[in-house]
Parts: sequence; structure tokens; C-alpha cells
Amino acid sequence: MRLFKNPFIAVSLLVVLLLLSSLASLAVGALPISVADILASLTGQASNSQIELVVTEIRLPRLILGLLVGAGLGIAGAAMQGLFRNPLAGPSLVGVSSGAALFAVIIIVLGSTTFSAWMSFWGIFSLPMAAFLGGGLVTWLIYLVASKNGQTDVSLMLLTGIAINAIAGSATGLLVYFATDEELRNLTFWTLGSIASATWQDNMIASIPILIAIVGLPFFARSLNAFSMGEAVSTQIGFNIKKMKMMVITLTAMAVGAAVSVSGIIGFVGLVAPHLVRLLLGPDHRWLLPASAILGALLVVLSDMLARSLLAPTELPLGIIMSAVGGPFFLWLLLKRRSRVGF
Amino acid sequence: MENQSSYLTPSSYALEVDNLTLCFDKQKVLDEVSFKLQPGKMVAILGPNGAGKSTLLKSLSGEIGEAKSAINLLGKPLTDYSLENLAQARATLPQFIQLDFPFLVSEIIEMSLLKRLPLVAQTHYIDQALALFDVQHLKGRNYLTLSGGEQQRVQLCRVVAQVVLQAPEQLGKPRYLFLDECVSNLDLAHQHQVFSVLNQLIEKHSLSILVVLHDLNLAAQYADSALLFKQGKLVCQDEVTKVLTQDNIKQVYGFDADIMQHPNGWPMVVPASVQDNI
Repeated sequence: MRLFKNPFIAVSLLVVLLLLSSLASLAVGALPISVADILASLTGQASNSQIELVVTEIRLPRLILGLLVGAGLGIAGAAMQGLFRNPLAGPSLVGVSSGAALFAVIIIVLGSTTFSAWMSFWGIFSLPMAAFLGGGLVTWLIYLVASKNGQTDVSLMLLTGIAINAIAGSATGLLVYFATDEELRNLTFWTLGSIASATWQDNMIASIPILIAIVGLPFFARSLNAFSMGEAVSTQIGFNIKKMKMMVITLTAMAVGAAVSVSGIIGFVGLVAPHLVRLLLGPDHRWLLPASAILGALLVVLSDMLARSLLAPTELPLGIIMSAVGGPFFLWLLLKRRSRVGF
Repeated sequence: MENQSSYLTPSSYALEVDNLTLCFDKQKVLDEVSFKLQPGKMVAILGPNGAGKSTLLKSLSGEIGEAKSAINLLGKPLTDYSLENLAQARATLPQFIQLDFPFLVSEIIEMSLLKRLPLVAQTHYIDQALALFDVQHLKGRNYLTLSGGEQQRVQLCRVVAQVVLQAPEQLGKPRYLFLDECVSNLDLAHQHQVFSVLNQLIEKHSLSILVVLHDLNLAAQYADSALLFKQGKLVCQDEVTKVLTQDNIKQVYGFDADIMQHPNGWPMVVPASVQDNI
């Protein structure tokens, strides 16, 4: 049931895989670049300035954004599954991503008019802050609806997700209807999910909240472990569960909000990554949280490479690749759990 | 670290409940319940389904906020405990624990630790805990694949470890165990093994134990005294021999039973003939 008895070996392996695929993602594309040229460009000693430009201004920001978004969604998924005490929770599935996207779209369309004060207050952080609020609101709402005394009703959780995805979808659609042509181009990428237009500024915006979540969430690993036996049991062991829940909801919303604000809705990373990590090294959140961040980053970097090269020179949106892999994975999860009583 | 024993003089009670009334949806679940228990005893909570036994246990372990002010645990009002102090003073085993992640048995035991230990100490802690109820052989198993009885014994190890093994410097300080039907999934031999271990723990670690039981004969054999409940009311509190009478059982369970004497002295409750009851 666990591929690795020693979680340290599993994490080391994931890190090596992540480094290799990062290197590959810098090399692969319309213009193939050799590893030697990549290293030369990164150290600023490239002989060809065009190659250096492709590496440092196009592929590197895109790679780093992929790493950030994947890590953020991966760790957020692991934390949410711990919070809902259920492996079927995931930021896109229960509507956290679409809640975050809706708030971001509101700012894109109405930022120059209704929400101009918000725009001038938050500056370049207007989008991630709005997405953070949207994501946090949805997480909190779902927790209110689907959880009672720390016990999550899985069907309620997933149904609430359907309702929220529908509400956010229709509201987003309404805003799209009123959007200008330029805004429209901006909006399509929210619904599909992409990191193709990554810039260094995107990276700067996304990195702060995502890094805070990656550093902050593991502090709650032991209380999340105990919480898997329920709210009452973990409180009796002495953990401050109220505080844990508030912090996990906040940090998760930060990570998802930041990821969504720069890449739109990339589904299933937060569902798939923690699940694979549990198969690798078990459910202990001290390893699960960081390893889900690494595996989430790996998944996004790999699918971005696929998105770029499958129909090259045409690029597919990353979200389509993730859903093509994640959808069947989710079905497999459901089938696997069907043999057990309930969820 | 607070010294809990300073609150508890030799003459005082380990647990005092003063006029506890709880309502859920205007339905009285506990109705003016008052009792006092001596330290170092095993006390059984008896009564038919829906008598309020589990609710009482939840109240005592601090799970129900509005009940706290009526309860005094180990010489100190429940409202005065921090989460951490309460975790050192008592441990609770609920009737059901739902777990959806494939933790190992060793990891389940580790969850009873509020603060992490160095690796060597932690390994020792886990081994000691599993040895309590003789389940060392399950250490590396996936908890979800265990039988109901095995899961129950592992959980017993976890709650006992929480109050007995976690803070060695606190050894000898009084503490409480609240167990809700802790042997419901166990076979005959293991039921008796668990209770004899619990009785040894009482002597070794100045524990007091309150246990909800359906099996009156287990209560008769192992408990020092019993609290008998019906519809939220405490009907009778006394030594087990005085609680388990034909009249009490008829009154509380509405069931005719004969009381016989076990060869070793304790009472034995056997159902009267079925015709009398139906």
C-alpha cells in the first residue's frame, strides 16, 4: 500500500524528478535548446542572445509560474482533504477555484468602474487579493454546509461544490457578456487555465502568498493528523482545532487564490497530487503536505510540456491536459471507493 | 507545569457533577444529574439505549460547552482547564471513530502525543503503548485493514498512552479515563483481558475510570460501583451488588432478570425465561 517505507527517499526521488523535468521544460519547445545552452543562458554567458532571451524571458518565467501554481494547488489540495477528512476534496472540485476565479473576473471586468477603489488600493495585487477572498469565502461556505462537528458529509460537500461551480459559472458568464473585446481575451484563459503568458510580474505576485502557504501549512501537520480521527478526538488530545481550521482555510485560500489569479482554473492538481503522494509515502501530513507541493509542481510542469508539444506549434491550454488526465483519475477514485461502505 | 495533585486532597472526590441538565431540541437528555466519585475506582455507567450515557461521557470529557460549569474534575472545575491541561488530566475513547486515511497503527499511537518526541523516545513510546493491550504485532499494519476488535484495542492503547505514558514526569498524579463501550467489538477473552489490564492500571498509575457498559456481567465483575440511568435521570448510584437487583433492572430496562451468584462472589444477571418478558 505504500511504495516507500522511508518517506525521505520518496521525497528525494520527487525532487530529482522535478529538477529533471524542469530542465526538460526549458529545453523543449518550438525552438529546441540544448542543456549546455540552457545553463549558459541562465548564467548569462550564452553565445546566442536570441536563445538567451527565449530561456530567460519566455521559458524560465513560465517554468517558475508552473512550479508555483502546481505547488500551491498541490499543497492546498492536501490541506483541504485533511480539513474535510476526505480524499475526495479538492480546490476545483468543491468550487474553491471557481469562487476565486469569479472574484478575479469581477475585478477584471468591473475594476475600472465599480471597484476602482479596490484597484488603486491593492495595485498589482488586486487580482490575487480578490481571488483569495473568493476562494476563502467558498471554502468557509462549504465547510459550514457540509461539516457538522468535524464530520464531513461527502455527498453534501460534492453537491455544494456543484452548486457553487454553477453559481460562479453563471456569474462569470454574465460578466463575460458585458466584457469588452480586450477583457474577453483576458477572460477566456480563466476558464481554460493556462500559464502560457507567464511574466516575471506574475511570478512576483503569485510567489508571496503561495510561499507563505507552503511554509505555513506544515505547522498544522500534526493537528491535521489527529484531526483525521475527528474534531472531538483531536480536541481531547489537546490540539487547538478551531485555530487549526481557521489557519488552514486561510492559507489554502491564499494558495488557491494566488494560483487562480495568475493561471485561471487548472483543475484536478489538488485532487491528484495528494492522492498519489499517499500511495507513495502514506497519509502523515508532515510528509504529505510538502510532498504534495512537489508532486503538484511536477504535474503542472509535465502537463505544460505536453500542452506545448502535443500539437506543436499550436499550444493547448494546460487546463485541458490536466482535466483529460484528472477526470478519468477521479472516476477511478470513485470506482475504487465504491467497494467500501459509503465514502 | 501545573501540579494537578495540589487540587486533590485525600478526602476529596475525583469527579463531581452538580445538577447537570442538558437539552437537545427541547428534549431533556440529562435531567438534574448529580454524583460524586472517589479516585482510584472503576465505575460503570449502565442503562438502556438513549438513557444519556454517551452524552454524560461527552459532557465529562469537556466536549459539550454548556455542561462544563456543572463538572468538577480532579478537584478543579472543568471550565478552569486549558486544552493542554485537560489532555493530561483525562483521555476519552468515544464509541465510534471514523477514519478515512490509511494511517499505520504506529502513526495512530503517535497521534496521542501533543508535542513531538525525539525519534528514539517516540519509538519507545509507541512500543510501550502497544504493549498495554498486547497489540505490538499490529504496529506496522494499516489501521483501516484491521478488524473491528483490533481497531478497538489499538484505540485503547492510544487513549491510555495519552494520560499514562505521555508525560512521565506527571506519573503518580491522578488522572481520569472515560471509555464509551470500549469492549463492544471484542471477543470474550479480550474483553476480560482489557478489563484486567484496566484494573492493573488503576493501581499502578492512580487512574480513575468511568466506563459505559451494556454488558451488566462485565460491570458486575470489574466495576467498583455503578451509575444506573434511565431517560436522562440518574436512578441509582451504589456498589455494583446493590445496583444490580431484580427490581432495578425491571424498572430501568423493563426486562425480567434473575440475579444469581457467580462462584467467585459477584452477581450474575441472567434473563428470566422469554415468556416472562414477552
